[in-house]
Amino acid sequence: MESGLSSLLSVSIDFETSHLFFPHIIHWLMGGLFALILVFNVAPFLAAVRRGEKTLPILGESMDKFRFFGTLALIVAYFYLMAVVGNLFPYTGYGFLFVSMAFLFLMSLMYMHTRTRRKVITAAINALVAPSLAWFILAKLFQITLP
Amino acid sequence: MFDILSLLDITFFLLAALGGLVGIIFGAIPGMTATMAVAVCLPLTYALGLNHGLALLLGLYVGGISGGMVPAVLLNIPGTPSSITTTFDGYPMAQKGEGERALRVCVVASLIGGLISAIVLFLFAPVLAEFSIKFSYVEKFLIILLALTVIASMSRNMLVGIFSGVLGIWLSLIGTYSISDGGNGHTRLMFDFLEPYLFEGFSLLPVLIGIFGIATILLEAEEGVKSGLAGKNIKFGKGGGFSLGIFKGRLTNLVRSSFIGTFVGMLPGVGGSAASVLAYTQEKNLSRDSSEMGKGAPQGLIASESANNALTGGALIPLLSLGIPGDSTTAILIGAFTLQGIQVGPLFIPENADTWYVMMIALVFANVVMFFLMFYAIKHIAKVVLVPKYILYPIIVMMCVVGAYAINYGIMFDVWTLLIFGVLGYLIQKVGLEVAPLIIGFILGGQAEVYFVKSLESFGTYSIFFTKSPIAVVLWLLIAASVAFSVTMGLKSRAKRRLETSQ
Amino acid sequence: MSMPSIYKTLGTSVLMAGMAFGSTAALAADGPLRGNVRVVIGSTSTGGDTYQNSNIVVDALAEHLDLNMKVDAVGASSAFRFLDRDPRGNTLMIFHDQSYLGYLYGVEGYEDIFDKYTIGPTIAINPGNAYLVPKDSPYQTLDDVIEAVGNGEEVRVAIQPGGVSEIGFSALKNAIAIEHPGMEDNLVAVNTGSQADKNQQLFDDQADMINGTVQANEQYTRLPEDDQKAMRFLWLTARNSTIEQAPEDGLGKTTREQLLQYVEPNVSVPMGNGDDFTFDKEFFFLYNKDMDPAIVDQIDQALTEIYAEGEIQETQKNSFFIPNFKPSEEAAEYLETKMSVYEDIITNIQ
Repeated sequence: MESGLSSLLSVSIDFETSHLFFPHIIHWLMGGLFALILVFNVAPFLAAVRRGEKTLPILGESMDKFRFFGTLALIVAYFYLMAVVGNLFPYTGYGFLFVSMAFLFLMSLMYMHTRTRRKVITAAINALVAPSLAWFILAKLFQITLP
Repeated sequence: MFDILSLLDITFFLLAALGGLVGIIFGAIPGMTATMAVAVCLPLTYALGLNHGLALLLGLYVGGISGGMVPAVLLNIPGTPSSITTTFDGYPMAQKGEGERALRVCVVASLIGGLISAIVLFLFAPVLAEFSIKFSYVEKFLIILLALTVIASMSRNMLVGIFSGVLGIWLSLIGTYSISDGGNGHTRLMFDFLEPYLFEGFSLLPVLIGIFGIATILLEAEEGVKSGLAGKNIKFGKGGGFSLGIFKGRLTNLVRSSFIGTFVGMLPGVGGSAASVLAYTQEKNLSRDSSEMGKGAPQGLIASESANNALTGGALIPLLSLGIPGDSTTAILIGAFTLQGIQVGPLFIPENADTWYVMMIALVFANVVMFFLMFYAIKHIAKVVLVPKYILYPIIVMMCVVGAYAINYGIMFDVWTLLIFGVLGYLIQKVGLEVAPLIIGFILGGQAEVYFVKSLESFGTYSIFFTKSPIAVVLWLLIAASVAFSVTMGLKSRAKRRLETSQ
Repeated sequence: MSMPSIYKTLGTSVLMAGMAFGSTAALAADGPLRGNVRVVIGSTSTGGDTYQNSNIVVDALAEHLDLNMKVDAVGASSAFRFLDRDPRGNTLMIFHDQSYLGYLYGVEGYEDIFDKYTIGPTIAINPGNAYLVPKDSPYQTLDDVIEAVGNGEEVRVAIQPGGVSEIGFSALKNAIAIEHPGMEDNLVAVNTGSQADKNQQLFDDQADMINGTVQANEQYTRLPEDDQKAMRFLWLTARNSTIEQAPEDGLGKTTREQLLQYVEPNVSVPMGNGDDFTFDKEFFFLYNKDMDPAIVDQIDQALTEIYAEGEIQETQKNSFFIPNFKPSEEAAEYLETKMSVYEDIITNIQ
């Protein structure tokens, strides 16, 4: 009995494949938990959706499509262009500086519900000052590499 | 002892204060960390000389760790990984208009945590170092496991919460099984074409600020960024409703969390974020009125922030008495010593008594300076939520970008990680998974793997986790208690809900 | 915000930006190396030897060439990728022997650097690579270890796999294979991570010997024997001539004279070709293959002048580095020979 237990518990890990040992355990855990969730949470939920008591997440909800997808598109453009422009002026941080200015201004405009002259000017100034300040302090003063 | 006084001058204290200030600013910017502040200022110390340099660096360290509370409370973005648990109660309080009160609680807790750990460091460093080397891979794994049990007690639905936590662990395993941890350096859990980007996996900090910062902005954008202001009906005025009375009956929590922070900080390799998570778990388990935790209870802030600042003293223990850094920031401090031609190791304290006292003075002073700087600046800092969202949100995105890019000294993929986890954070909240357990899983997953696999590699049997040492047995008891507690709590709250719905 | 204050803020920020731009423009140099230069290193630690050593050299270069240069600790795999993508010369890399040892050990993410990159000048040696045992260990010398393993005793060595930390272990294994054929498998690697992890393996009695460094472990060797943490040097892999150049006071309270006891020929690890194995961890530049050769020359030239002044050597020695400047071509030839020696050892024991 004693030896049976200890051989059950004994394990030998081959160094070459040791990178898969732990992920393997996690996969089993995840699979098991997922199955339980399907049975106890998802199935009742879907039944409720079918009865019309609840709505599907994301698909069934109302959303401000313009601002949501606008935000995503702006962020993607921001990240992408920052690297592209930055590559034209290697390691000066100008990519960050210039693209941030455009990004801040556009995002501010998008999030305003009423565009008064005063608000737009505030946004414009913010778009100029905030990136310059960040760039100056970090890239110049502290010599942190920026895109 | 009087010789020491001659080493201290006005410049010394000014530098410690300056360090504290700059550190707070770094910590308060989402994505900028204490580690980064220390790394950036390291070259300055060469010109300053040892004592002045240490004053500056320790100020930065303490300030940077403390500053993390600001965005955690006001914006729901942990400024440093270890302030993650501060968001759980801080942000709900800020939403109720109690941001200023929450921050004041944090500052007081931070000061006490910092001071307690400094005292422990001063009195017991060599003894504790001796104790810390009793923790091998096996015991360290059990500590991580204990911290992971918080997942069960903090989730709204235990099954979903645990699943989210395991998902977080899974995400943390993407990349190589790192050679620097003793792994074999092979990549897993990804497609080959992703290897150039995901070789080192996702970095913690971009993941954190993506899942908290960017996801919050996406959720707001979906709603149309309606109300002009980030905070509603803010209670300003005298202290924002803060009084020391909040700490009444919280002394045990405060002291316990400070000791937990010091202790976890002292274990090399067990990262700082585990400290605040562990302190939070224990408060949740041991306190009699923990049901409000996670919904805006000051006791959560006390646990989180005192533990997180207690890290500073704790992490210095192995550094100064074993030559081994307790966290990533103290790893850079080694560089400061080497620059001055001083080696840290088991003989550091006996051979450099002057430097040792000077460091202690700097550490205590930095904590005090931090307290006064923050306590009186909070009134103004808390007004961040008065900035209109159309100005605030773009700035947050920009600062997240800077932080993500700079954390690994300039890697563009870390910036994309922000977006990936921003979208992921949005999706998981939509489908009903839980963010906090996922993040805790992500933070602790990598260490759990290394300690678990390495224990088995050394001993070749699962039974070692139970039989290794008395420490292991104690840890198992704590784990069992923690699990039992969360199960009973879960059942109780379910019964309560049933009762409410049936009425 | 009132209008005048808006203009004031605006004015200040424009002024500030202007000043900053101006200062970069003024730094335009005459040589082929232009603009801001980023030196990426193969380590992610800003407290480690690679970062420290790179900073010493890059600071000197930046001053000499009047350029903005900055060291970034991005780690090996990222550093190689940055270098791959930038043939302009704005990205340079500094790394050490790990760059080719990783390839020899077949670690993912490493390729043949001699094929893929241009090798730049070597700049310094970290002479600290060492092997230690507990102070109460039965092994008094490395020969004792070789003998014991030869007699069938298992000796476990804690190392970090796949590079600098493993090469001494491989050489030892090779020496045992030569002197006691068939017994070399009794020398077992305990694969672990940081220096703290390796020390811990020794304290836990999970290893009989560890890889370490003079810098990190010197104080442990001065602890009293009854201390659980006390250690003893058995072997420094550096060449005798390297340690000879160290400051006379050595490191901490261990003098150069004492350190010399642990290097060849006092400690001998034969390679089978009549020579003893030695390993010096050397730092050198790596360049993109398509980078303008004029930049290679410019940096060689600049470093030759800097080393001729003699100041940098003092700085390096103060941090326990041994200056070792070789211009690019010489360095490439030297390192390639060095690699082929280690390649033999690694193939031998496979």
